[in-house]
Amino acid sequence: MTPLDFEARYDAEWRELEGLLDRVLKRTKPKAPKEPLRGERIAALYRRACEHLALARARSYPAYLVDRLDRLTADAHQVIYQQRDVGMAALWRIASRDFPRAVRADAAYVWIATALLVLPTAVFAALAYSSPTLILSVVDAATVAQFEQMYSRSGDAIGRTRDAGGDWTMFGFYIRNNVGIAFQCFASGLAAGLGSIFFLVYNGVLFGAIAGYLTERGLGGTFYSFVVTHGAFELTAIALSGAAGLKLGHSLLAPKRRTRAQSLVQAARESVVIVYGVTAMLVVAAAVEAFWSSAAWIPEGVKYGVAAVCWLLVFAYLCLQGRHAT
Amino acid sequence: MARAVLDTAVAAETPEGILLELRPAGIAARFYALLIDWFIRLMIAYAAAIVGVFMGGFGTGFWLLLLFLLEWFYPVVFELGRSGATPGKSVVGLKVVMDDGLPVTPAASFTRNLLRVADFLPFAFGAAIVSMLLRSDAKRLGDLAAGTLVVHQPQRPPRWKLDDVAPVTPVLPLGPSDQAAIVALAARAPTLTGERLDELAALAASVSGDAGRSGASVTRRVLGVAQWAMGKRA
Repeated sequence: MTPLDFEARYDAEWRELEGLLDRVLKRTKPKAPKEPLRGERIAALYRRACEHLALARARSYPAYLVDRLDRLTADAHQVIYQQRDVGMAALWRIASRDFPRAVRADAAYVWIATALLVLPTAVFAALAYSSPTLILSVVDAATVAQFEQMYSRSGDAIGRTRDAGGDWTMFGFYIRNNVGIAFQCFASGLAAGLGSIFFLVYNGVLFGAIAGYLTERGLGGTFYSFVVTHGAFELTAIALSGAAGLKLGHSLLAPKRRTRAQSLVQAARESVVIVYGVTAMLVVAAAVEAFWSSAAWIPEGVKYGVAAVCWLLVFAYLCLQGRHAT
Repeated sequence: MARAVLDTAVAAETPEGILLELRPAGIAARFYALLIDWFIRLMIAYAAAIVGVFMGGFGTGFWLLLLFLLEWFYPVVFELGRSGATPGKSVVGLKVVMDDGLPVTPAASFTRNLLRVADFLPFAFGAAIVSMLLRSDAKRLGDLAAGTLVVHQPQRPPRWKLDDVAPVTPVLPLGPSDQAAIVALAARAPTLTGERLDELAALAASVSGDAGRSGASVTRRVLGVAQWAMGKRA
């Protein structure tokens, strides 16, 4: 069979498939209402086109013919094997099962990341409390003054009395800032885990030094009542994103019985589930921080009570949710 | 195969047993796409800032939220769309696919775009540039971890335009691979300049009995042999 015979014999099938694919991919504007799309027809024509492509290649048919079949099968392949798992069901599956399971599966990384965040916090809190001037080697004087003003008990302090618009501004700011930090903390783990370690320790040092300093200045009450509620989500989320980053880095350093590339792909696939959860937690944290933590009219007792419930809920969720097969 | 050594094409096998040819996009094409996407994002952020100014604190909050979404989710949203490409990539003719040629999954798209941060290290996308230049499939670190490829969208090949060429019976016996080579030359004819086509046809002139000569008439006779190989007879 010559190429021309081949083309003449099967051209009708190819045209039909091209037409169907154009309709699926919405490349052509539907002029008149046509008969409904039939998936099995596309699949059947696709398999035929695959056969024709294999024949055309084996017989060294001209390039334009092979290219046409190549393109046709590639398009059909994309349509037939499309995965559409971005719906509500997928989100619910991640929240109710996959995320807490992924955290528990990587408990070792989570503990290491927690230690990398908490130990510098504790050390620098103690240091800054005993020698307050240390704060100046962590942040500059203007920032210190700003923090002091933020958490002072005077009525006009920033973040204590502001209008609804101000709350929204801070919500946007917290989302961009905090989720950005978490994403960086995760992604920089690709550098053999060093980036994650850096961001965890850096944030620990910063938080610890400021907490220690403000406590020493007698502003601890306002500070702790401010951070304690959203901290349940935010600090946990930062630690978890660091853990996911450490997992990435470790997969490169110790690929075990895989190649480094395979090991990295596997680790990324598993740890990105944690990053989904972290993103959601940080959105919650930003909402709490903007609309609840900063509300001056809520008594501190209530805030501590709510905070205790939040911490308990977060730990219970991460430890217990999704243990049973569903 | 000598071709496999020089070519950057990646073959992905489908369950139907055929090989899809994926053509990974190099650093230049991807850089242009990145520039276009940056420009679009800048324009969106700028337009939103103008609107936001009139909405007070709520507007500022909304703007910061939008910046966050543009920064991290702009590529994800577009890559999961029908074309599998951000507007910048569409303009340059690129798309993102999985290593096996399938459409990119949500998890993979999210991963490769999150890891852009790591690709940026130590500065100005240093890691991405090194990785893309070292690999024949031009993957950056995010692509490595997500198992994705950025490929050229297949172009519609130019139509075969030899209907006006009269078939010529070859003076030599031609094997299948010889015939394929002549036909491939004819298929490429629309994309070549006249001079280059003459040059290439002169190399094959012996098939029409014109060995050692060149020129438009020789080219026409060689293309006539291609017509013959395609199945046309005088």
